Amino acid sequence: MPNRPTLLRYDDIVLKPGRQPVSGTIRAGEIIGLAGLEGHGQEQFLTTLAGLGAMQSCHVAVQTRAGGGIRLVNHRQAAQQGVVYLPRDRRASGIFPALSVLDNFGIPSMPQFSFAGFLNRKKQKQRLAGYTEFLSIKYPAMSAPITALSGGNQQKVLLARLLALSPRVMLLNDPTRGVDLNTRLKFYDAFRTLARDEQIALVILSSEIEEILQICDSVSIFRDFQRTEVIAREDMSMSRVMAAMFGQKEVAL
Amino acid sequence: MTPTETTPRAGGAWRTILAARADTRLAALLFVVLLVINIVLNPARFSPTNWLSVLGLAAPLLLASLAVTIPFLAGRGSIDVSVGPLMGLINVIIVQVLITSAGIGSPVVLVAAALVLGLASGVLNGFLAAILRIQPIVATLSTYLIYAGLTLVILPSPAGTVPAWLSAFSGWLSFIPVGAAVVIWLIIRRLPYYDLLMAVGSDDRAAYTSGVNVPAVRFTAYVLAGLFAGLAALSLTGLIGSGDPNIGPGYTLIAIAAVALGGVSLAGGVGGMTAAFLGAADIFLLQSMLTAFNVSTFVLQMTYGIVLVLAVCLNSEKLKLYLRNRMRPQ
Amino acid sequence: MTRTLVSNRALVAFVGVVLIFAIGAMLIPGFSSLFSVRAMLVLGCLLAVAALGQTLVMILGGIDLSIPFVIGFANVVFASLYGSGVPVLLIFAIVLGAAALIGAFSGAISAALSVHPLIVTLGVGTIVQAGVQIWTKGLPTGSAPPFINTFVSLGGSVGPLPFPWLVPFTVVLTVAVLFVLRRTIYGRKLYALGSNPKAAELALIRPVVLWAMTFALSAVFAALAGIFLLGFTGSSSANVGAPYLFQTVSAVVIGGTALIGGRGGFVGTLAGALVLIELRTLLIGMGLSEAMVQAALGVLILLLVAAYGRDQHIRTLI
Repeated sequence: MPNRPTLLRYDDIVLKPGRQPVSGTIRAGEIIGLAGLEGHGQEQFLTTLAGLGAMQSCHVAVQTRAGGGIRLVNHRQAAQQGVVYLPRDRRASGIFPALSVLDNFGIPSMPQFSFAGFLNRKKQKQRLAGYTEFLSIKYPAMSAPITALSGGNQQKVLLARLLALSPRVMLLNDPTRGVDLNTRLKFYDAFRTLARDEQIALVILSSEIEEILQICDSVSIFRDFQRTEVIAREDMSMSRVMAAMFGQKEVAL
Repeated sequence: MTPTETTPRAGGAWRTILAARADTRLAALLFVVLLVINIVLNPARFSPTNWLSVLGLAAPLLLASLAVTIPFLAGRGSIDVSVGPLMGLINVIIVQVLITSAGIGSPVVLVAAALVLGLASGVLNGFLAAILRIQPIVATLSTYLIYAGLTLVILPSPAGTVPAWLSAFSGWLSFIPVGAAVVIWLIIRRLPYYDLLMAVGSDDRAAYTSGVNVPAVRFTAYVLAGLFAGLAALSLTGLIGSGDPNIGPGYTLIAIAAVALGGVSLAGGVGGMTAAFLGAADIFLLQSMLTAFNVSTFVLQMTYGIVLVLAVCLNSEKLKLYLRNRMRPQ
Repeated sequence: MTRTLVSNRALVAFVGVVLIFAIGAMLIPGFSSLFSVRAMLVLGCLLAVAALGQTLVMILGGIDLSIPFVIGFANVVFASLYGSGVPVLLIFAIVLGAAALIGAFSGAISAALSVHPLIVTLGVGTIVQAGVQIWTKGLPTGSAPPFINTFVSLGGSVGPLPFPWLVPFTVVLTVAVLFVLRRTIYGRKLYALGSNPKAAELALIRPVVLWAMTFALSAVFAALAGIFLLGFTGSSSANVGAPYLFQTVSAVVIGGTALIGGRGGFVGTLAGALVLIELRTLLIGMGLSEAMVQAALGVLILLLVAAYGRDQHIRTLI
C-alpha cells in the first residue's frame, strides 16, 4: 500500500526502560492488528498513539487536516487532529451510566452541534440516527439510559461517539470484547467499510487472533515490551501469530 | 493495600515518626518543627514533668480525630460528622443526668456509660449509613443535628462539676483514655477485620466480589468511631470539668481537618492511628504556638486554614507524581 | 428509567411540600395565613439560591463546605463597601467577582491535585472568614441599599401579588438552571463528569476547568444569597451563613440529587428547600424549643431520605 498517504508517524516509543524503541507509520485506509500475550506492551503502545502516554519522551506526529505535520502532546489534541481512542473497559472508562444514549453518543462532539454553548439537539439526533443505521444499533429511544442497552449495543454507541469526531485514525482497544457473534460480524463489516470508503486507518488491539486474521492488513506482535514482529496479510496464520506471541521464530506449518 | 506502619524500635519515638509512611511524613515533619518551636517558646509548659497535662489538653482532639478516621478508612463517602456533637451529648449526660441528678460518682459506671453511649451512637450511625444506605454525610449530619439538639435540651447552659478522678483525666491520669485508645487500635490492627476494612476502603467492589461483607465492615467502622468518640468525651469532660453544651460540635470540623493534615485519605483505604494522632497533634501545637504569640483568634483561624490547604496540597499524590516526572532527567 | 426516577424524586419532594403544608395548616393555627406562607416562601427562596451551587457541585460528585463562609464574606463586604459610598454596581462586581475567584480556586485545586473538596472548601472557607474578620476587626458595619431590602422584604409585593421580587426571581432562576443543565454543553458535561470521571476525560472533558467553573458558580450564588440576607436581616454579620452549611446539603439531598454524582437537578433542590423551611416552621409552631426543633429536624431528614433517597447496594455497582 505505498500509494496511500501517511497519516501518522511515530518514533522512539519506549514501552519499558531499556527496551528497543518502536517506530513506524500508519497509512490511510489500513487496518493494523496488535497482538501479544496480555501485558506485553501492546496496550501502552496503543494509548501512547492516542496521546495518553508520556508524550514528552517519544515522538508521535500526525498529518493535520490542512496538510502539515504536528506533534501530538495529549489526548485532547490528538482527538482534535482526528486520532481517536476506544477504551478497553466499557463500563469503567467508556459509558456514562447515569446518562441517555444520546448523551453517551454526543458528549465529546458537542461543539459541532452547538451555538455559543447551546446545544442543537435536533442536529445531534440526526447524526446519531445516521450512525444507528450504519452500525444497526438497537435502543428503545435516544433518551433511554445507556445501561438499558446490551453490551454490544453500548459498544456501538461508543463507536458512533468516535465517528462523530470525524476520525482519520481510530485506535480501538479490544473493541469486540464481551460482544456476541452477530454483533461482532457487524463490527467487522463496519471496520472494513470505514477503512475502504472513508480511508480511515484503524489500529485494533485484539485478544482474539481469529479477529485479526479476518480483518487486519498486517499484525504487529508485541513481546516483552518490544515489537518483535510485523506480519503482513499474506503471511498471516494462526500458528504463525501464536508462535510470535510466545517468542518462537520457527514453527512447523 | 498500603504498607503497614512501622512498629516502635530502639531508636525511639523520633525514628518511629520519621520512618512512618509517606502519607504521614509531612505531618510528622510539621510535628517535629512545631514541637521544637513550642518548647523554645514555652519551656515550662512543655517540660517533661508537665507532659501528662499537655497530653490531657490534646487528648479530646486526638481521640476525636481517631474516631473520624475509622469511617474514612472504609471508603465510598463513609464519614462520621456526628463525632463532635456526640462528645458534647455524652458530656452533658454524664455531668447533668448521671452526676448532678442521679448523684453517681463511680468511675466504673461513668466510664461504662460514656463508652456504651458512644457505641450506641456508632450502632445508630452504622445502621443508617451502612445498612439502610442513607448517604453517610446525610445520615451523620442528621444525627449531628439530633445530638446537638438533645444536648441543649438536657443542659441549656454550662453547669455542673465532676469528681476528682474524672478531672484527673486531663492531668496525671490523661494517659488512661489515650492509652486505652492506643491499645484498642493495636488490637484492631492485629484482627482480620483491619485487613477487611482497608480492602473495602481501597476497592469495595473487588472486596465484595471476593466475598467480603462490605456493609458489615462499614457498620463496624461506625461502631468503632462511636467507641473512640466515647473515650474522647471522657477526656473532654475531664478537661472542662463541667457540662458544656456548646463545646462538642466544634470538634467535628477540626478533627476532619486534623486527619486530612495527617494524611488520611477521605477516599478510603489510607491512614490509621499514627496519621490521625500526628494531624491532631499538629493542630494542637499550632494552636499552642499561636496562643504563645498572643495573636487574635481570627489570625489563629486563618493559620489553620492556610496550613490545612497547604498540607493537603503538598500531600497530594498527583502533585508528587507530577514533580517526580518533572525532576526525572530526560 | 433513571431519568423518570430523577424527575420522580423532584416530584416526590414537591408532593412533600404540599403534604407538609396540609399537615401544618391542619395542626397549627395561622400556618396557612398569608404572613406565614410569605415568610416560608422568602426563606425557602433564600435557601434555594444558597443551595444552587451545592446542587451543581453535588451533580459533579463533590461537596462545597465554603458556602456559609462565602455568604458571610459577601454579607460583610457588601455592607462595608456600601457604607463607605462605593457605587452599588461596582460592589456587585467586586463581591461576585471575588467569590468566583475563591470558588474557582477551591474547585481547581480539588480537581488538579485530587484532594477531597470537603477539605479544600473547609480550608479555603476558614481562610475567607478569618480574612473578613481581620478586615473588619470582628465588628462589621454598613447596611444594604434600600432596593435590596425591598427585593427580599417580607412585606414586599410584585404588582398586585403579595410577595417580594425574590420569589419570581427564584422561579426564573430555576427555569434558567433547568435549561442550562439540559441544553448546554456545560450542563451535559457536568452530568457526564459526575457520572464517570474516567470516561469523561477520555471523552475530551477537562475536569479541572469544569470543577473550577462549577465551584465558582457555587460561590457566586452563595455570595448572592449573602447579599440577599443582608437585605433581609438589615445588618451584616460574618456568621450569618452558619446555618446554611447543613441546610444546603439537606435541601439538595431531599431534592433528590445524589452525592455520588451524575444525577439530580435544581428543581428538586427548590422543593427540598421549601420542605426544610416548612418543617422548621411547623416544629416551631408546635411550640418546640430551638434545640428540640434542631433534633426533630434531624429525625425528619433521616425519615425523608430513608423513604426515597437511599443509595444502591454494593452488588449493583459490580
